[in-house]
Amino acid sequence: MGHLTATPAGTAHPAAPAGASAVPDAAVPFLEIEVLRAKQFIPAAKEALTSMIAEQGQSKLIRPVFNWAGRNSLFPLHWGLACCAIEFAAAFGARWDAERFGVLPRSSPRQSDLLIVNGTVTWKVAHKLITLYEQMPEPKWVIAMGNCATGGGPFRTAYSVVPGVDKLVPVDVYIAGCPPRPEALLDGILHLEQLIRERKE
Amino acid sequence: MQPDDLTQAIAPRLGSRCLGVEPFPGTAGRVRFDRSAALDLFRIVHDDLGFHHLAMVGGIDWVRHREVFYVLWSDPAKQYVLLSTEVPAEDPHVESATPVWPSANWHERETWELVGITFDHHPDLRRLLTPDGYAFHPLLRSFKIHEPEDLEVKSRDV
Repeated sequence: MGHLTATPAGTAHPAAPAGASAVPDAAVPFLEIEVLRAKQFIPAAKEALTSMIAEQGQSKLIRPVFNWAGRNSLFPLHWGLACCAIEFAAAFGARWDAERFGVLPRSSPRQSDLLIVNGTVTWKVAHKLITLYEQMPEPKWVIAMGNCATGGGPFRTAYSVVPGVDKLVPVDVYIAGCPPRPEALLDGILHLEQLIRERKE
Repeated sequence: MQPDDLTQAIAPRLGSRCLGVEPFPGTAGRVRFDRSAALDLFRIVHDDLGFHHLAMVGGIDWVRHREVFYVLWSDPAKQYVLLSTEVPAEDPHVESATPVWPSANWHERETWELVGITFDHHPDLRRLLTPDGYAFHPLLRSFKIHEPEDLEVKSRDV
């Protein structure tokens, strides 16, 4: 209750007790919903949403919400190619626990929005990678994890290796390392979240 | 089983097409044969000598000729035997071993793909490790390390 009285929204109702059913002013700024009590929140949010939709149109309001939801629930495809997949697996284990960032591997490309290419891509598997990428719903992102996926790595001049997965699909974040540690993978994922946050529609 | 035993079992039936049996460390011996005798020799080794397991088929590029070798294992004798034949580099083909050992299928596909040795009457001679339409036999000595862009162009129609 202390934080309620300390805010401008609270000062409009200085005597509002905990059980008060008083509805706050309709003009409560949208940004101050965080300090509202639960009972005050729903009418305030409803009012703010209605007025914003009326002023700015639906898409301008909904896109940031989808952006926020999307970047906090990046579901990578559970697809291991080479030794980077071991680090990929470790990142989702107990020690690094990538799930605290909302990152959860899915077994189907149709449920994923992030393709982490973790390993050496050969020409033999190249068109399967493209198929998986095309099966993922929009919006989708790609992380090239490790030196092999980034540029072919030590096998760059080999007869069977794609020298960088960006020859096949567009890549958003490159992670260096051979293999990169799970911390590096998490850093790449957080970097991707930053990119999504800054994305212009 | 010793190289002499192999000679006694093989040489009378192949005649001059058996080019010799020599000792080879860790095996019963290394049988060199002419490629025209391939299927006859496979049947002798499989049916009469009891080498029922084909462990490996491989190829070597010696520039002027190429060598095809077969590594066989006999469970009763607990022994390996090597069969080896030479094929000319300008006409590298040999009879397939799949009628005798079905497991030769993928081994011969790989040997054809990487060293360019054609196996006649092979049921399914396709590329195994590289994509279809790949233009090279990459383990040949004449294969030069290409720029990645060259490989990309060659493989793009896959």
